[in-house]
Amino acid sequence: MSLLSRSALLPLCALIWAPLGRAQAPASAASAILTQYCVVCHDNQKRTAGITLQGLDLSSVGDHAELLERVLRKVAAGQMPPAGMPRPNAARMAEFSKWLESSLDAEAAAHPNPGRPAIHRLNRAEYSNAIRDILALDINAGSQLPVDDSGYGFDNIGDVLSLSPALLDRYLSLSRRIARLAVGDPTLKPAEEVFEPRREPNRGVAAAVPIRAEWMGDDLPFDSAGGLSVRYYFPLDAEYVIRVRRGILNTPAKIAPFEVRLPMKAGLHIIGATFPKESLKLESVEPVTARRSAYLSSERPEASSAGMDLRVDGVRVKRFPRTDNGVPPPVMNLGIDGPYNATGRGDTPSRAKIFVCRPAERAQENQCAQRILASLARAAYRRPVNEADWKPLLSFYQSGRAKGDFDHGIQKAIEALLVAPDFLFRVEADPPTGAVRNHRVSDVELASRLSFFLWSSVPDETLLALAEKSKLSNPQVLAQQVDRMLDDPKSFAFVSNFAGQWLQIRNLATVRPDPIAFAEFDESLRYSMQRETELFFGSIVRENRSILDLLGADYTFLNERLAIHYGIPGIYGSQFRRVALTDANRGGLLGQASLLTVTSPPNRTSVVQRGKWILDNLLGEPPPPPPADVPALDATIKGARKLTLREAMELHRANPGCAVCHRNIDPLGFALENYDGIGEWRSKDGESAIDASGKLPDGTQFNGPAGLKKVLATGRRDEFVSTVTEKLLTYGLGRGVEYYDMPAVRAIMRETEPNQYRFRDLILAVASSVPFEMRRSADQ
Amino acid sequence: MIVTKKHLQRRLFLRGLGTTLALPFLDAMVPAFAAPRLGATKPVVRMGFLYVPNGIISAGWSPLGEGANFEFGSTMKPLDPFREHTLVLSGLGQIQGRSYGDGPGDHARAGASWLTGVHPKKTEGADLRAGISADQVAARALGQVTQFGSLELGVEAPSLAGGCDSGYSCAYTNTISWRNPTSPNPVEVNPRVVFERLFGDGDSTDQKSRLAQMQEESSILDFVKGGVDRLETKLGTGDRRKLTEYLDAIRDIERRIQKAEQQSASAPLPAMDRPAAAPEEFAPHAQLMMDLMVIAYQSDLTRVITLMLAREGSNRSYREVGVADGHHNCTHHQDDPVKIASTMKINTHHVEQLAYLVNKMKNTPDGDGTLLDHSMLLYGSSLSDGNKHTHVDLPVAVVGGAGGTVKGGRHLRYPENTPLNNLLISMLDKSGVRTDALGDSTGELAHLTDM
Repeated sequence: MSLLSRSALLPLCALIWAPLGRAQAPASAASAILTQYCVVCHDNQKRTAGITLQGLDLSSVGDHAELLERVLRKVAAGQMPPAGMPRPNAARMAEFSKWLESSLDAEAAAHPNPGRPAIHRLNRAEYSNAIRDILALDINAGSQLPVDDSGYGFDNIGDVLSLSPALLDRYLSLSRRIARLAVGDPTLKPAEEVFEPRREPNRGVAAAVPIRAEWMGDDLPFDSAGGLSVRYYFPLDAEYVIRVRRGILNTPAKIAPFEVRLPMKAGLHIIGATFPKESLKLESVEPVTARRSAYLSSERPEASSAGMDLRVDGVRVKRFPRTDNGVPPPVMNLGIDGPYNATGRGDTPSRAKIFVCRPAERAQENQCAQRILASLARAAYRRPVNEADWKPLLSFYQSGRAKGDFDHGIQKAIEALLVAPDFLFRVEADPPTGAVRNHRVSDVELASRLSFFLWSSVPDETLLALAEKSKLSNPQVLAQQVDRMLDDPKSFAFVSNFAGQWLQIRNLATVRPDPIAFAEFDESLRYSMQRETELFFGSIVRENRSILDLLGADYTFLNERLAIHYGIPGIYGSQFRRVALTDANRGGLLGQASLLTVTSPPNRTSVVQRGKWILDNLLGEPPPPPPADVPALDATIKGARKLTLREAMELHRANPGCAVCHRNIDPLGFALENYDGIGEWRSKDGESAIDASGKLPDGTQFNGPAGLKKVLATGRRDEFVSTVTEKLLTYGLGRGVEYYDMPAVRAIMRETEPNQYRFRDLILAVASSVPFEMRRSADQ
Repeated sequence: MIVTKKHLQRRLFLRGLGTTLALPFLDAMVPAFAAPRLGATKPVVRMGFLYVPNGIISAGWSPLGEGANFEFGSTMKPLDPFREHTLVLSGLGQIQGRSYGDGPGDHARAGASWLTGVHPKKTEGADLRAGISADQVAARALGQVTQFGSLELGVEAPSLAGGCDSGYSCAYTNTISWRNPTSPNPVEVNPRVVFERLFGDGDSTDQKSRLAQMQEESSILDFVKGGVDRLETKLGTGDRRKLTEYLDAIRDIERRIQKAEQQSASAPLPAMDRPAAAPEEFAPHAQLMMDLMVIAYQSDLTRVITLMLAREGSNRSYREVGVADGHHNCTHHQDDPVKIASTMKINTHHVEQLAYLVNKMKNTPDGDGTLLDHSMLLYGSSLSDGNKHTHVDLPVAVVGGAGGTVKGGRHLRYPENTPLNNLLISMLDKSGVRTDALGDSTGELAHLTDM
């Protein structure tokens, strides 16, 4: 809760408490409701769902906060008392919820419990970004680390981020490589690194399906089809041999590689090998669907005589002529071999960042090394540093210096810095006095909380400097900083890590749609799907739009490939652009191919999987998994006719054991049935027409994606907003949201409601909430 | 084949597509494997634990007949050539995977209980808890003489997003190896990373520089320890667990460096190309990991390895054997014959990979016999019927002679609900790691050596 909202809350609490304090009437009225409607199942004997409410003393809500938060959630969502059981009228229900909510909130305001995130090892994304920001080395270093375990749906949960001997081994090895690249190491021996285009594996029975190796991205020009581009960090100013091997993988390479030797400046460059589009022609073995055919004819004219282009940072440096007559063989891999004839460490952003001083003579070296290391340690440890911090690093410098030059000494110190526990772990200290129950985190700790929340990285100089002056916790400053951070391109990490996991878009990288069921799926489409959602989500954050727009926006971002997939005409080229949508079905997340693909099995759609996804991730009501050993459906064949999917599902729901969950799940999933397993619109599933109508247990009816979105954004709005808020809080804190956080969740919702839950407002409200700004002291 | 012009003599020629690399100077890397063991009285026993998720269809797995007169079911047919080295054990259960009031989550509990015999705590994150796993008990003892206590390998990377099993952290389904009750060992799926961990990351090309690098690592570890000590003073007791993990990891690597320095006796290292990134297809990937297992055993870099052929609950599709739907989807077959057949295809495909490993070990000389003679591989799943989430009558096979202490070519049936952990402590015992109890074990498992 920000200071603002805290002061706004006080009079509110007083208003609620005053009458309650005088007469216990509301508490006893609430008790009466519990006794009359709830205890019938939740008594000391039956303990339905493990809960008893019998004899619960509602005059001391705080003693039962955990239990009552569960009660509140169920009652407010209208799930309890369950359908078919007697329940009070709507007005009394609402009154009960309201009373319970304000009592819990007042109790939390009087005795806040901000929780206590565990010590947090940097995860892969955070490690990558920290290396990028501390050393100006943008090489996605974390991709060399094992995938982190996750909990509560995110991989930045301190409790789950463990450190094994294997991981420490990896850190040691990686820190050597990073330090070598960042400083530049003239002793580096030449080696060849080989990159392969991504291919669709597992073709198996579908032997006639061609290998999908095409790739178009922002690094390649419009007119390229196939080929690949590679971001590569050249370690020294030197010559490098670039080889493009062509042919089919695992077949004897009979084609001589294209090869060129180039002088390159040290640092990050993009090497692209592309076929100009005119050099390709249709692959005859490819199964051609109507859409696919439109795509091919628009994208791929007949072959001509051009060969292959080699590009460095987008500029063609060499055009290789064609050496064959038919369809040119695909790129098998691209190798970068070097450095040869190195001329120096070069002039890289990393070196500029590291070497904040240059010793003119040997006598100045120690002092300069100390400056460099103190500055790096401050950035890496994310706090002010002292002699105890830089002195051990200096001794690594000195032993390195004894074996090489000044730069080599710094390189050795960086190796050590990057495995220091102060770098790898985020640790928050308790105040020295043990008696305090809660404390505000220090400004310096707040800087890290913010930067890891919004950037998945270390704080920058601005944040650190403000924190060191204890200005960051000032509400105005905090608001400015949150805005600044979200304006910074580094906030893309928030989109890719928060949205990527919340919406599960990250799984796009590993989905394998069946090449027979979905012949038009290829790497270009995979990339485009992901990009659309990233750009869309980013626009909601950047423009501070309502999170309800996530459901109902009337625009999206498309390139030609995706526009064809959606059947939207007039979009040309591989660049994404904002497109206004006229079809109410397509707008919002639920119309995006990324989401529709990750919620589908490889070869079909799944009504249940999509419905469950909505309940889990949009409404915060995860249904339990089905019991094991679900009996077979009695009549999958009714007479001679095979049942339609809907008929089969209805038969399934006739079983009361199944119906209890599936009546919530299935209607949501059916509403999206017009989208196939990769998000293409369809009106029929095989022979049967799609029926996308649905009815929820509470009687709400809707039809198709547009109808579903409307229901979610209106009737189920509070559940949706609460879910997004809880996910944000989980991700922001790096711990699970507990019952004692719910008052903070509700405060955030109240605070952001007047402006329709704009995304930045929500982020700021999270960043100024009790659990974000405070911490429970040790061992309470 | 690509070879850089310089340093030809020190560079390994790659058949694959990986980086041309400088192999560490081999002599420096060959350890205890040398002289003493060759003529020794008792061969060193290697342990392997190979896990497959989602149960195995019993109609395909269960052998016909018992004792020495049995016939493999269709799923196990790929092991026919190694029948005499294979012991099929029926009737064992891992009932710590049952819910006991914890509700859904049988996959998470299955994975976390397989080698621990402990009912895992239901949590998404806070206070993760299972028990030490059998491989880690072995690693603590056998790891005293090898550079690596154990390796934890896998073929399927953890999921990038989304929950794993209702209410359980993904740590429970991602690994079967637990260093202690609160520290799961992450699984490494990248063959190149495994190779570099075993043989160095290619920075060094000779013994001298590799040893120099190790000395540098030692002083970095000293520095790190100092940092941990300083941090610890700031923390309450509850927060120290993570740092304890870090200290344990440091000690582990220090010990490894020490071993590597001691064991600089020279013997030729088995040649293997440094692998490129993981192949996308299942079988080549699994086989590459198995090649690494063999090379690690053979050069005695470790004696204990776990390999998860997929994560518990995996929904990978195996199109190469004609199954487009996901594995987990198939196992909830609801008696649909098509899904049952699909699951059986996957089950058999997994056993084919086991057969690849067994064959390779059989063809690898080791002391007075073969690597297979001196090894003990446990293969199985922690569920039997994936459709019903059954935790008893598990599919269990033990392959390898374990230095003459296991007699294969038999199918043994034990009383229903015999704890799998009884087998685990017997396996530990046969590897020279005396363990009185582990998890829910009630005693040693009889008849492994003879009838």
